[in-house]
Amino acid sequence: CSGGLRNSADRTQDLDGFSPEQIFERGEFELAQSRTDDAAWYFSEIERLYPYSNWAKRALIMQAFAYHTGQDYPESRAAAQRYIDFYPADEDAAYAQYLLALSYYDQIDEVGRDQGLTFQALQALRTVIEVYPDSEYATSAILKFDLAFDHLAAKEMEIGRYYLRRDHYTAAINRFRVVVEDFQTTSHTAEALHRLVEAYLSLGLVNEAQTAGAILGYNYQSSEWYESSYKLLTAAGLKLKDRGNNWLSQIYRQSVKGEWL
Amino acid sequence: CTSIYRNHGYVPSEEDLAQVQVGVDTRDSVIQAVGAPSSAGILEESGYYYVSTRMRHYGPRKPEVVSRQLVAISFDQRGVVRNIERFSLADGRVVPLERRVTDSSIEDKTFLRQLLGNLGNFNPGSVLNQ
Amino acid sequence: QNYTFNSVQVEGNQRIETSTIVTRAGIARGQTVSAGQLNDAYKRILDSGVFETVEIIPRGSTLVIKVVEYPTINKINFEGNRRIKDENLADAVTSESRRVFTPEQAERDAQLIAEIYSSQGRVAATVVPRIIRRDGNRVDLVFEISEGDTIEIERVSFVGNRAYSDRRLRRVLETKQAGFLRAFIRSDTFIADRIEFDKQVLRDFYLSRGYVDFRVNSANVEFTRERDAFFLVMDLQEGQQFSFGNITTVSEIPGVDAAEYQGALKVKPGVIYSPSLVENSIARQERLGLRNGVDFLRVEPRITRNNRDLTLDVEFALVKGPRIFVERIDIEGNTTTLDRVIRQQFRSVEGDPFNPREIRESAERIRALGFFAESNVETREGTSPDRVFVDVDVEEQPTGSLSLGGSYSVNDGFGVAIGLSESNFLGRGQTLGITLSTAQDAEQYVLGFSEPHLLGRDLRFDLDLGISERNSSFANYDTSRKFFNPGLTFRTGELSTLQLRYRWEASEMLARTNAATGAVITSEIAQGERSSSLLGVSYVYDSRLGGLNPNAGVRFEVGLDAAGLGGDNEYFKTTAKTIAQTRVWHEEVTLRATLEAGAFSWRGAGSSRTIDRFIFGPDVFRGFEPAGIGPRDLSGGQDDALGGNYYAVARFEAEFPLGLPEELGIRGGLFYDVGNLWDLSNVNTAGGTIVGAGGSFRHVVGFSVLWTTAFGPLRFNFTKALKKETFDKEQSFDLTIQARF
Repeated sequence: CSGGLRNSADRTQDLDGFSPEQIFERGEFELAQSRTDDAAWYFSEIERLYPYSNWAKRALIMQAFAYHTGQDYPESRAAAQRYIDFYPADEDAAYAQYLLALSYYDQIDEVGRDQGLTFQALQALRTVIEVYPDSEYATSAILKFDLAFDHLAAKEMEIGRYYLRRDHYTAAINRFRVVVEDFQTTSHTAEALHRLVEAYLSLGLVNEAQTAGAILGYNYQSSEWYESSYKLLTAAGLKLKDRGNNWLSQIYRQSVKGEWL
Repeated sequence: CTSIYRNHGYVPSEEDLAQVQVGVDTRDSVIQAVGAPSSAGILEESGYYYVSTRMRHYGPRKPEVVSRQLVAISFDQRGVVRNIERFSLADGRVVPLERRVTDSSIEDKTFLRQLLGNLGNFNPGSVLNQ
Repeated sequence: QNYTFNSVQVEGNQRIETSTIVTRAGIARGQTVSAGQLNDAYKRILDSGVFETVEIIPRGSTLVIKVVEYPTINKINFEGNRRIKDENLADAVTSESRRVFTPEQAERDAQLIAEIYSSQGRVAATVVPRIIRRDGNRVDLVFEISEGDTIEIERVSFVGNRAYSDRRLRRVLETKQAGFLRAFIRSDTFIADRIEFDKQVLRDFYLSRGYVDFRVNSANVEFTRERDAFFLVMDLQEGQQFSFGNITTVSEIPGVDAAEYQGALKVKPGVIYSPSLVENSIARQERLGLRNGVDFLRVEPRITRNNRDLTLDVEFALVKGPRIFVERIDIEGNTTTLDRVIRQQFRSVEGDPFNPREIRESAERIRALGFFAESNVETREGTSPDRVFVDVDVEEQPTGSLSLGGSYSVNDGFGVAIGLSESNFLGRGQTLGITLSTAQDAEQYVLGFSEPHLLGRDLRFDLDLGISERNSSFANYDTSRKFFNPGLTFRTGELSTLQLRYRWEASEMLARTNAATGAVITSEIAQGERSSSLLGVSYVYDSRLGGLNPNAGVRFEVGLDAAGLGGDNEYFKTTAKTIAQTRVWHEEVTLRATLEAGAFSWRGAGSSRTIDRFIFGPDVFRGFEPAGIGPRDLSGGQDDALGGNYYAVARFEAEFPLGLPEELGIRGGLFYDVGNLWDLSNVNTAGGTIVGAGGSFRHVVGFSVLWTTAFGPLRFNFTKALKKETFDKEQSFDLTIQARF
């Protein structure tokens, strides 16, 4: 397209003279060079100069996409939200809603950290699944929903283990019961049941431990967690001394590697 | 050095417990009389457990539980109190905890990104070679 | 009557798709629709907020929806605003470019801008929104602002104040008269809520001085004719001054004896009554309850007035609070810090009885971590009225700093210096400090690491190791040290901690190429590298760790290093330090006294060296250069500081406000230091001309300016030595960091 646009985006340049199509191509060119925020700026200019053209709609979704690849999540959320407000029935609206959800989802990282983002990701993913069930993004939204849900369960487990290790058994039991009751579909239920066996046994409530062990056996017969519970419950496990547990290896594991026990 | 004692949890006092009669009280009237349980069993019909622990912190040693009282109120199918049992620290078992953890599928920020992502704090001490 | 349509037709829409409008109308083909449902459809389309007008016209079997869209905003700009920049206004305004323009929103934004101006005292500002039509149904939105000038308060006067003068009250009030800093300080402009705030300030001032019946009858404001200034007249009703009558404690909890809690009180009858003293006493008793492990203890003050002798009798009732438990502690916002690092600041555990004071103290411990720009702890009702959720909401701030430097000198070539310090390493609450510098004469390879909760316990592990070469500009020799120094610190009681440490160190004094040294230092340099391997122990008692009185505190520390576990050097080095601090005169003035002493006794063969003995700078004794006081060797025309085996220093200081407005963050300080550094036994002084071996007590007075800046709390010390030795090296000005005791 015309030479004038060749240099990298100087934002003062007035683009009135260019057709929306030219600016759109320039935006795509910037995106290809992975200069994402310049690309986003070009797309936002199309929306400002030609709000009623068909280009404006495409530019808006490209703008959200550009900000997202540049990991500028708040901006990408704003652009995606604008798209949903203006073109809710459009076929790209599903993608905009999906982008909105991703902007929260991609920020979730290690379990020990912030869970506030996970809630927002879950809500946004749920809207994608419920409002656009037959769009191509619904399936991957469901997958990400389960992962985020699993992440919440992991957070409950982490706090449960924190209390378990410090001999606060009732606090640990309450956290693991939340996982067993509210997060059955996640991958943590087996471990939660085993931790319940450990906690109830430590308190001396042998029948509760056996109930937890039975549920674990019934639902997760082949998991290693059932194996560990089985050992504990058949009393043989109690004499088993934990291998490699001298205090130096403990310090290395906990302070250097950051493990929990 | 002296040891520091800390109490956790709650067990109803003898007078409160006296008000709970076997075969008469239901789950709600128990909570009314002695307060909410510290924890409960997994199944619907399992009992209420009140646990109070006294821990001793002594110097560098791992805080240890010195005494624990546990009051277990179990209920029958009709939800009426069947039995009130008392457990103590002696009934507890020493359980080696499983070190393995179900890994969550979300990978963490890389080591470097975490380290460099956190820069920006200016402490005047370094300038005045404090 | 009702209709059925088999087709829907939309007219007048430009940006919004027809399909969008049809889905919003929610009328399917062939569905019989009543008039009411038609009206709902109309409302639904209008509520989308995108259309100026909407009409629904049933024409036979087709439904016609006529819409006129609001224009889209192309650009927003502001004219006539000098005091507030465009960006700040753009943030506050709700309309945005590329979004839809609605007149009501523009009107609301104009009102918003006017409010911003009035909150800065420009009550007379006016804002008018205007539209410039553009092609393609687009508009530019312009806010025309005429700011008007600020309205100053000329004089503040009071009626009915007998106990305190107008000038004294004026100093209490924040709205100062339009003083000399007029344009600079915003607070002396007239703000309605400022006046409300001042009434509160006056009420607190009087209440804390025993005037329990104080009331502000009215605060009326009169305009000057030219409307550029105000006269503020406050009509006060002081009432009588009350003091404490007899103070008793009664316990309504079985098994809690009132006498013990009465003993915890510090307030005496006859003292002027003030709510903060009552609150302080309640805090003391509740903390004592916390320490004795009494659950659900609440202290209720029951006050009885006897107007005859103007006293208030206070009875502290120890009552059983409601049976509430902590159900969950949820932590949010910690994007870097791990959950356990915050959770371990809580002594209460989920399921424990709810103790508001313990939760407040835990919130204070979280804030003191220093990892968060914002950290607040709130409690809200849990799943049942007798359970509570504790919500911790934090906002992280960067805790790492990286300094990179390079150096080039003719004879040593290139040197690089990297310094990384992180107080929340990987979010685990660990501190890590690495300094690498290869500059020729100041080589440093030092690592410092500390883990405050080793193995999850209240057990702090510190490790410092490295090689460092220091060249101090106050000595003619360099010092090189290689050291390895692990340490463990743990609590030995509610208010005391003990540290055990081991230190291996090889140190050497190196002659500097172009600097000569006196006989003593030369003989010490000749000793070459000597190693010392020592065990050390330090005991600290700090009354503020769980202390009852937030305003005062005592910190006592005693340390002993015993070298001789292998290595060349054998010596004992003991140090002791006591700091006592209290805040007086309504917590505005801080008084602090510090006593510090040390004794070094050389045990081994040969003699000790200057770098083994005590030598210190202005951080211990103000008014002198580093190594400015103490025995010196004047042989060979040099002037070498030798340090000393014993030292004793006392520092007495006061910090107080200078009456300047709070926004500047400047406070003043006065201090008096007295101390001595002496004794050279076990020192090879052959060939040296020694002065000051016996030493004498130096006396220094000075004043300081404490300025809390964005970079940190700085302290400028100006000193004058009243009595010193002739050979001491004075230094009358010093800039340091305000040490937080």
